[in-house]
Amino acid sequence: MNKQDWKIMLVDDEHEFITTLAERLELRGITTRVAFDGESALLAVAEEEPHVMILDVLMPGIKGLEVLERVKRSNPRVQVLLLTGHGSTRDGIEGMRLGAFDYMMKPLNIDTLIEKMESAIDYAAKAANLG
Amino acid sequence: MRDALFMGRLTASATHEMQNILATIRESAGLMEDLLALGGEGFAHAERFKKGLSVLAEQVERGMALSEQLNYCAHAPETTPVGSEVNEALRSLVGLLRRDAARCRVSLVLAPGRTGLRTSLRAVEIMALAGLALDCALPLLERDAQLTLSVEEQGGLAVVRLDAGVYEAMRKQEPFAELASCAKAAAVGLGSGPGGQGLVLTLPKPVA
Repeated sequence: MNKQDWKIMLVDDEHEFITTLAERLELRGITTRVAFDGESALLAVAEEEPHVMILDVLMPGIKGLEVLERVKRSNPRVQVLLLTGHGSTRDGIEGMRLGAFDYMMKPLNIDTLIEKMESAIDYAAKAANLG
Repeated sequence: MRDALFMGRLTASATHEMQNILATIRESAGLMEDLLALGGEGFAHAERFKKGLSVLAEQVERGMALSEQLNYCAHAPETTPVGSEVNEALRSLVGLLRRDAARCRVSLVLAPGRTGLRTSLRAVEIMALAGLALDCALPLLERDAQLTLSVEEQGGLAVVRLDAGVYEAMRKQEPFAELASCAKAAAVGLGSGPGGQGLVLTLPKPVA
């Protein structure tokens, strides 16, 4: 699949961070949708399923891991990349157990993020072919 | 203990915020770099701009290292069933005290030594003991000296070495009495390095 066809959802309550990241991905031809909390993210996923969700683990309201669990139940094809901090690496590991594709620590390296998104999309495509 | 845990909680929360701030700075600097790459040819100050952005990137890296060490400190008072990894505790201590040592014109270094060695002590106890040992050594060192901490294994125990100064002179320093009393309370062996040089802390075994 071409990058231009990817559908990426970014979820983080840090507005400046996530909107700037979205802008940088858009500059690279990647279509993004942004949600600032777990609840909006769940509604957005129900509306239009993304290929990959980039999800912060520590947000006010519904926590990242709960969003992950609910998304994996309702839309198992969505691949989730968790964003963690030094203090939340354990959440990243727990997230992998709950079905996250991978986790990354903030601050991000955009090239690494794109590589991981690509791997997640390839993985989902292979899994769909096998299924 | 409760105070230390509370301070740890505050610090952990603050380091999480610091990471968000650093992440936002990195993305914003990255966006400027992207925009410059897209249409910077006509921009007279492009080179200066790029240099400024690379300074920002370096400072973000520096902030990340500091925030990681602070976050380690935040959790250092916690008791864990597996005890603490000695090298990890010293790495954070050295990172956070480097500036303090530089004020005495001494460079503080953690030697690349054994990783994976554990002790039953909490990380905060390892850091406090090594910090007191540094307090005994720093006033004795000459300007531009290097003070090296290292970790090694001796007879199945983790040993922290402070490679600087004469042990007998360190014993005469004011913080030594506190170091000796803390070492005794934590069942840590305290003695000199080979030839009466430097200081050695022998840490208790991790709980099996």
